[in-house]
Order: sequence, then structure tokens, then C-alpha cells
Amino acid sequence: MFARRIKRLFHQISLGDQSYRFMFEPPPDDDVVAFDCETTGLDVAKDDIVTIAAVKIRGARILASERFEAVARPDARMSAEAIKVHRLREADVEGGKLIFKVLPDFLHFVRGRPLVGYYLEFDVAMVDKYLLQLKGIELPNPMIEVSQMYYERKYGDAPPGTAIDLSFKAIVSDLGIPMLDQHDAFNDAMMTAMMYVTLKDMKERGVRIARARDSVRAPHGFGA
Amino acid sequence: MPNAFDVSNPPFDRLTAEEAVAFRAALDVGYFKPGETIVAAGAAADSLFVVIKGAVEERDGEELVALLGPNDSFDTRAIVEGAAAHSFIAREETLAYLAPKDLTLRLMRENARFGSFFYLDISRKLEAVARSQEEARSGSLMRTRIGDLFLHPAVYIDASDTIEFAGRKMQEIDSNTLFVRDGARIGIVTGMNLSKAVVLNGMKIDAPIGPIARYDIVALDEDEFVFMALIEMTKSNKRRVAVTRRGAYVGILEDIDLLGFLAGNAQVIAGRIDRATSTADLRTAAREIADQIRVLRRQDVRVEVIAEIVSDLNRRLMARTFQLLAPESLRAQACLIVMGSEGRGEQTMRTDQDNGLILAGPVDPASLNAFRREFTAALEDYGFPPCPGDVMVRNPFWSKPLADYMESFRRWIALPDENAHMNVAIFYDAAPVAGRVELLHEAKRALIGAVRDERAYLARFAHAVEAFETPIGFFNNLIASEGGGALDLKKGGIFPIVHGVRSLALEHGLLETSTDERIGRLAEKGVFREDFARDLKQSFHYLLALRLDSQLEQEKDRGALVKPAELSSVERDLLRDAFKVVKTFREILRRHFNLGMF
Repeated sequence: MFARRIKRLFHQISLGDQSYRFMFEPPPDDDVVAFDCETTGLDVAKDDIVTIAAVKIRGARILASERFEAVARPDARMSAEAIKVHRLREADVEGGKLIFKVLPDFLHFVRGRPLVGYYLEFDVAMVDKYLLQLKGIELPNPMIEVSQMYYERKYGDAPPGTAIDLSFKAIVSDLGIPMLDQHDAFNDAMMTAMMYVTLKDMKERGVRIARARDSVRAPHGFGA
Repeated sequence: MPNAFDVSNPPFDRLTAEEAVAFRAALDVGYFKPGETIVAAGAAADSLFVVIKGAVEERDGEELVALLGPNDSFDTRAIVEGAAAHSFIAREETLAYLAPKDLTLRLMRENARFGSFFYLDISRKLEAVARSQEEARSGSLMRTRIGDLFLHPAVYIDASDTIEFAGRKMQEIDSNTLFVRDGARIGIVTGMNLSKAVVLNGMKIDAPIGPIARYDIVALDEDEFVFMALIEMTKSNKRRVAVTRRGAYVGILEDIDLLGFLAGNAQVIAGRIDRATSTADLRTAAREIADQIRVLRRQDVRVEVIAEIVSDLNRRLMARTFQLLAPESLRAQACLIVMGSEGRGEQTMRTDQDNGLILAGPVDPASLNAFRREFTAALEDYGFPPCPGDVMVRNPFWSKPLADYMESFRRWIALPDENAHMNVAIFYDAAPVAGRVELLHEAKRALIGAVRDERAYLARFAHAVEAFETPIGFFNNLIASEGGGALDLKKGGIFPIVHGVRSLALEHGLLETSTDERIGRLAEKGVFREDFARDLKQSFHYLLALRLDSQLEQEKDRGALVKPAELSSVERDLLRDAFKVVKTFREILRRHFNLGMF
């Protein structure tokens, strides 16, 4: 956490393109942004972002109608290695249909707002990989991890030795959220947003998720 | 949620592909915590809500009128008229799509099919609130066609046939009207024409009929509405109209039958049953009995009176069937009984057959078996569905000698499983229909004698009243079932009353079968206070009436289920009061039979 703060400060000072200062300024509102990337694989160093989707959450309302959704064409020449070598010139040549053209729009959409995600670290690392090359910074936004929120609601008071399942499926099923087609960044962002609004309210009300000892779930997925 | 919103869910399936894309793109998702008011009564809303997950209560004040679940949408009035009629409150953690009001209204304007869904929804709700019951019931009068009424057959005689021949023909076909063929023209002659010709004009009975027939026939097609017949009769001052199908005469509609349809004609049907000479005649009468229910209800005849009339007619029908089908030996040796709701005289809409036979002693097995089959088949043919539990004359278990019944009673009481309890309940409600009535009385006295002092048995028998919850909450609010927001009148109200009263009646050895009479006698014996007995009867009648109206409205589909949202607020108040009485009654039973020990 501390290291992250130092890094943030460092990036803020070293930010080459001052037009991106807004990333370091207090967010314009109390919204948070749920976001998700689809990638060609799970290796941050080698794989690329294919789609990136984000949706704002205002209070208990998910602003799906004002979503951010972009497709980046995966291109063999645009592997991480290639980007390192060719940096911006390649992107300029390609006409910006690639991730470098997409990212500024994404940053303007997100601004300094907290990011909400499921195993957010991976998505943030993917974005950071390009962002470092593009602007010399990493995403400075506060991060809200829904699997952590879920863990607190469900396993926060669990006796040692309790089997813990933080899979996306388990959360969806426990919270009674509809399972949308996965591997679609927007659907994943939407489901993550629905998890967030539900878990946030449960936390505010001090409601816990029942641990199904006998594998019997409460009828609606909720219990005390 | 652009990709995931289910546009196959009505009414969104009426959107065109382009509209669906626009609609999906405009959706937000809202989260509502338990107890949160999503739309307040009287308030406008910026969105149409479509539930994704969770449950939303639609409330009229304290009253729960519907429970909305996934795919249900609300509230049309809040976006169209800017004022919701009811409030909508999240019952549990709820996620819902929010469709912007402006877009939804635009789609409603531009897509008539989509719009009509919502406007229909509004009008249906308004109608449910403001509906005049009278209007709802008279609806069928305006829609009934002449062909649906009882018609006398079109029977022809020749103009050269004699007056006597005509008179005998009328007698034979049980009709007052004949068609007369005179060369190319066709006329009508009535019983009154014959009488006048002979009595007033001194014509001989062997005179030809031709000169006294009338050739100015008023005819209507069988597809015309009934009210057209009424108008024609009034206009032409005729007491009958000829009915045609594709131009050919197919029958005669008499004013008495038309009036019977309008006012109910139980007497006429009773007469027809008594004069019937075949099961085919009885089938016609049976159909008319069923029609009576709607007619009588339209007249606002009280449900208990309807049940009495219908039961009486049904019993006449069965008695006449028994006389027609049973061989002489059987008629002298047997008692035909009806059981269950038919025995209590509380059946209106036909549910199923519950009948049996008590024999004085052994009878010829071949003729008995033939009768068993024919009787049950005849009733089925009349439109009484067979009993799923096979409580029918056809089943030897329910048509056997008195001594065998006595043996069954002993078994039912010694091994009181659920089935045995049901058998006792069914038989205790039995009423005699035809044959040797004393056989049933003897059987019942034996049954009562065997159980009336057995407190433990009676308690177990009464325990069935606990089988279903009465759908009323702690604050006397109606509780609709989770599924469709419907209330089950039978399980929640009618059954506990019938069975509770039956249990008390059995304990006190009453021979009455109807729930009403049993309540009255129990009050006389001091089991209930007079005012509670009155409340219980009224609640029972109200529940029966509500069920009947619901059955009439949807034919046999939903039966005893009623959706509170479709009731007016007055009806809901009455329903709540009725359930309150049922709740109190169950508490009385619980104490009386000490049901807590189970």
C-alpha cells in the first residue's frame, strides 16, 4: 500500500503529458467505476488486451447507459515486445485503432475515480503495462476488490479451516446475480458492478452471507 | 444492460429489432435494499422498472396486493399518468433494470402493440378497482348466442295431417310448436292454435292442420345474439322464434326458455329431469344445470342459494339416472349416496364425482357390475369429471353392502392414516339421493358411534386443518403466495372451515351434512357463540362466492386461486376479514382438540 502511494507521487511528478493531471486530482463526483478487460491470456508480460469495458456506479445505480466499451485489435506486431521497441511510432502508423488509441478515452472516462473489479490487480496490471509506455505512469486510482468485500461478508468471521471459495461463480450464485455470458468485458463489468452495489449495501446494513455448512443455501442466496 | 436484457420477455418481445437495440442501450441497473420504497404511491417515476432479481411488493397502503419477481415490470401508471396507484417496495435485495421514461413512452407511442400491453395493464387495474360486479356478470348476456340456449327441436308435419296428429306429436316430442309443410311454404302451429281451433272455433280433431297454421314465421340465425331474440319477440309480440342454420330451420326458441336463461329456470330443468326417459335427455338437462350457475350468479343470487339449487338439481339428475339404469332388484336393495362437497350441498362448479352405493345385502353380481359401469359412465357423459381418487359407484370399494362399510369404518379408525381420515371425512358428508335412505342413516350412526368418544382419534382427524397456512399475516395483511402473487382460497380458507366444522360435528354426532347447518347446530349446542357462528358462516359464504366468481371468470383454469391485485379494495377488505375469522377459528380448534400436542 505504502509503496503504491510512493509510486503514485512519483508518477504524478514525473507525468510527462500534463494534460493527464486529472488522473491525480480528486474525482469530480462520488461515482466509482467497475471495469474489466478481456485479454489474449493471463500472462501480463506477453498477452494483450482485446476489449476493455467500464461502467460508472452512482450510489446504488449502475449507469449502464453511459458505459465505456472498446475493442482493441490484437495484432501480432503489437505484442508487448514490439511495443517496447516501436513505442508510439508504431501506434501512430497503425492509425490508433489499437490499445494506445483506446486508453486515453478510457482514462477520460475513469478520471481519478475509484476502480471496482474482480481480481482487479490483473486488469490494472494489464492497463499499466501500456500506460507506462504511453504516459510514463500507472493507474493511480484507489482500487476496490469485490472478492475482498465478498470475503468479509462471508468468511470474515469464519473459524479457521473453513473452505474458502472466492470464485466469480460462487459470488454470482451467493448474491443471486444473473449469470450473463462471460468473457464479454461489458457483461463482466456489469456483474462486478452488481456485486459491488449488493455487497456495499450488505456491509452498510451489517448483513452477512450464510456459509452453507450443509451445502443448503438460503432461498435467495442471502441469510443472516 | 445492453446484451443481457431479455427481449423475449413480454411485452419487450413486441419491440422491433431496432427498437430493442435502442431500448437495451438505454437501460441502467438499480439496486434496492430490503424495505426501500422504489416508487411511492401517488408519485411519478423517471423509469420503468423491470426486476432482474429479488422481490418487490406492490402495496395499497398496508395491503400487499402483488409480489413481483424477475421479469415483472412496474409501474405503468407512474410513468404514463405521473402517479403510481400503489407503492412498490423492495422485499429483499433487488436489482432492476431502469428503462428511461421518455424512451419507454416514445416506444409506446410508436409501437402500438408494445403500447397496448401497458394501456391494457392500466385499464385492467382500473377495472379491478372500479369494476361494478353487476357489469362484469352481465357481460355474458351480451355475448351469448341463440344457439347456446335450450331449443326445442324442429319437427315437421304436413299441412294435411290432422289436429289430433299434431297434438299427439307435440306430446311425444315434449314441445309446444311444430313446423307445418304446406307445399312450398312453411308455417308454424302451436298448442294454443290447436286449442283455439277446437275449443273456440269448434273444429273437429280430424280436420287438417293447414288452415290453422301461421305462415308469418319470425326467424333468427343461431349465431345471432340472445338479446336480438328478446328484441324480436317484443317487437313482433310472438312467444317464440324459429331458429335457422344456413337458412334451414333447426329449432324453436320459446320465450320461457329465453326468460329462463335470463332469470334462471331451475323449475323448468327440474321438470325436464323428472320427465326424462333416457340418459340422452338427462345429458341435455345436465348441461343446463351448469348454465344455471352463471345465470343465477348474474342475478346476484347468493352463493349458498346457488349451491342449494344446483345440488338439488344434481341430485334429481342422479336419482333419475339411478331409476333409469338400475334394475328393479337393485333399486329395492340399495341406497345411492353422494359424498364430499356434493353431499354437503356445497358444490357449484362441477369438480368431480363423489358417489357410492350402499347395499342392504348381496345382489346379483352381474347386474350390479353392469350398473356400476353404466352409472359412472353416464355421469361422466353428463359432464361430471371422474373422481381422481375413484370415489365412485364404479369402484366396488364405494359400492358394497352395509356390513362391508361397517368393516371399513373399523379399519379406518383402527389404522388412521391420511387416506383413512379422508375416507371418514368423505363418508361423513354423505347424503342420500335415491333408494333405501335408511341404509345411509344406519351406516352414519355406526360411524359416529365408533368415533364420537374417541378424543385422540378426533384430534388426529381434526389435525388436517393445520395442513395449510391461512394467508394472513400478523398485521392482518394478506399474504400472496411467492409464485404469482395469488391467494389460495381453498387451502387458506374454505378447507379449514369445512374440515374444522366437520370435526366438531363428528364429535357431537350431528347428522346434518352442510357446513352451514352444522355451524348452526354447533352454536345451538353451545360450541360456538352465536355471533362467532354468524361470522364463520358469512366468511365461508364470502370465500365460496369469491371462488365461484373466479371460476366463472376463467372457467376451470385457476380454480381457487385469487390474485389480490385483481380484487377491488372493498373485496380485499372483505377477504381480509374472512381470513381473520378463519384464523380465529383455527385457534379455537387448536385449543379444543389440543392440536399443539402434534
